[in-house]
Amino acid sequence: MSTFSGLSGALSALYAQQRGMDVTGQNIANANTDGYSRQRVDLKSVGGSPVPAMNSLPDGSVGGVTVTGVARVQDAFLEARGRIEHAQNSYLTDQNQVYTEVQQAFNEPSDTGVQSQLSDLWSAWHDLTNNPGDASVRTQVLARATTLTDTLHNTHASLASLFSTTREQFSAYATDVNTTAGQIAKLNQSIVQANNAELPFNDLADQRDKLVMHLSEVAGATAATQTDGSVSVYLGGSSLVNGASSRPIAAGGAGRLDDVPVTPVTLTWADNGVAVTPQSGQMASMLQTMNTVLPHYAGQLDGVAADLANAVNAQHMAGYDKLGNAGGTFFTSSDGNPVNASNIVVAIADPDLVAAATTTNGPGNGTLDGGNADLISGIATSATGPDQSYRQLIADLGVAGQTADRQAGIQSALTNSVDSAREAQSGVNLDEEMTNLITYQRAYQAAARVMTTIDNALDTLINHTGS
Amino acid sequence: MTAFRVTERSIATNVLVGLQGNLSRLGDIQQRLSSGKQISKPSDSPTGTVASMQYRGDLAAARQYSRNSDDGLGWLGTADTALSSMMSQVERVRELTLQGISNGAGGSSDARLAIATEVNQVHDATIGLANTRYGDRPIFGGTTTGSAAYDASGNYLGDNGVVQRTVGDNVKVQVANPGPAVFGAGAGQLFKIMSDIATDLQTNPSNLSSDLNRLDTATTTLKAVQSGVGARYNQVTQMQQFANDKVDNLTSQLSDVEDIDLPKTISDMQLQQVAYQAALSAGAKVVQPSLVDFLR
Repeated sequence: MSTFSGLSGALSALYAQQRGMDVTGQNIANANTDGYSRQRVDLKSVGGSPVPAMNSLPDGSVGGVTVTGVARVQDAFLEARGRIEHAQNSYLTDQNQVYTEVQQAFNEPSDTGVQSQLSDLWSAWHDLTNNPGDASVRTQVLARATTLTDTLHNTHASLASLFSTTREQFSAYATDVNTTAGQIAKLNQSIVQANNAELPFNDLADQRDKLVMHLSEVAGATAATQTDGSVSVYLGGSSLVNGASSRPIAAGGAGRLDDVPVTPVTLTWADNGVAVTPQSGQMASMLQTMNTVLPHYAGQLDGVAADLANAVNAQHMAGYDKLGNAGGTFFTSSDGNPVNASNIVVAIADPDLVAAATTTNGPGNGTLDGGNADLISGIATSATGPDQSYRQLIADLGVAGQTADRQAGIQSALTNSVDSAREAQSGVNLDEEMTNLITYQRAYQAAARVMTTIDNALDTLINHTGS
Repeated sequence: MTAFRVTERSIATNVLVGLQGNLSRLGDIQQRLSSGKQISKPSDSPTGTVASMQYRGDLAAARQYSRNSDDGLGWLGTADTALSSMMSQVERVRELTLQGISNGAGGSSDARLAIATEVNQVHDATIGLANTRYGDRPIFGGTTTGSAAYDASGNYLGDNGVVQRTVGDNVKVQVANPGPAVFGAGAGQLFKIMSDIATDLQTNPSNLSSDLNRLDTATTTLKAVQSGVGARYNQVTQMQQFANDKVDNLTSQLSDVEDIDLPKTISDMQLQQVAYQAALSAGAKVVQPSLVDFLR
């Protein structure tokens, strides 16, 4: 046993406690840093060689202490769960947002929506029944019908613009995923190198975890930590980041709502063109929105427009106009395709051509009968009329919107509780850090005291013996 | 000892979530208060939304029925007035014809000529009445586009179209009768009879008795039409009353579905405000202290 081994033991204690105070300081400094996981100094007492050998007889109590590492305190399972819940949360929150916007596009119940304009149109036909000869009443029928078609166009355009916005955002997110995946790959590389060199990489790992969480929220990515310290990220079951390499993805498909039935919006791997199907996250919600939700409601609106055109046209063609000629089509399509919400227009410009009469005295010799106008106004209460199909649409939308809202609320509460648990596990508790600080400080003071004591003993031995 | 670890950040997260929940509920209530509506989008209450749309459609229909009734009452009222005047004119013709009969073939031809002249005047006046118009349409002209139902010599110019008004769901009321249904046609036509009477007074008084029978038949038809008009006037009035009542009912139902209960919403808001303030002050107390405050 060396004379000075006690001194070196005390010195190692000073170093270790110093390190402890440093780490505590680091924790306190990052108490509010997003994504920071608290760190802990792992200490180990240094004994002699555990295996006795010739001329090496450890006394078992002299080596002091050493810092074996600074560990990041984190629960891998909680983190994985956090990623899943965050991905699901951003999916449901986005769906809720979409339903809110679709509902805004329809603007019901109100005095300006399609429903009240349909009512206005039927009232105009009623007025025409009362006054089949009045040019102003005939003009009013045409004007109200035009207002209704304009509103149908606008509603369709709102859905289409919602689609375009989402589509642009979708491409931007695809780029974001690629950039983030690239960053994760780079960090993986640095971490593997640091790990091999046995250098600390806690802060790099924190940064990387934050990026992985971002990918989960955006695209529902899942992750698994590898033994070399790197993390593999998976998207829809395929590998997005593996070690130091990442695979880019690409957004493709329809750029306009009307093109979706032919070419749905897709997300594919850029290298082999195979489809990526994220199950959760913002992009999954966007795919759902663009390929299912918006086309569904646009299709239903088209159905309302078609019902309107069919019902009114059939009755209109059964009647006679002011001049006694058989009525033509009232609503038609502006582009030759079957009538839908975006192309429905009023086919008649001349008010005299509105077929209000059920009777005629022959071509060129009309009557002032309003029977046909009355029959047309009766479409309002028809079980297969546009009013019925429109109300059905709104009921459907309302129920879907309510479901989305409730699901988002539940998921948000769940996500918050998981976040809180993660924060509780890996977050910084200032009380604890203060306690640690005092503990380290006291230990440091005590180690210094040990040093003084040994120094005093040596002083006695060296300076005050034998003189 | 393994207690659930709590950190400042986790407390802060929880407090923040709670506060935001409170604030968003407060925002909801304030939004309802400021708009006065329970339902601002379909998902607030899908059934309520559909009910509200249904009520709005029904309301528009009921208002329209009331307006249609107004128009129908105009037609029927005009017809009633015209037919009443017509009846007194026809009565006059009947009296004159009786005078002509009692004068007989042996009576003074001058006297009969005078009577014939008056009958002719009444004939013209009744044709004027038969051309009574509501708005710009002759009410006894069916659905004619012309401006008169009869020409000066009593020929029918209109058609047999029926003018109807829808005054309730599937309730259509005929508000005008075409001329032939009112005044008869051919030999039994009122104007024809009158001019025959005028002619017979001058040339063939012995025919006057049969003319009188024809006139009575025509009068019976006229009376029947008039009482029909009166009955339909009543019907339309009742339907209009019904439609107006329905407007009131639907308006209140719509308000029940759509509008907020003001006292309830205001007290909800007070409660929510108290809850929010309590959460705020509790949050401020919980988040603040730490061991740092108590160390030297």
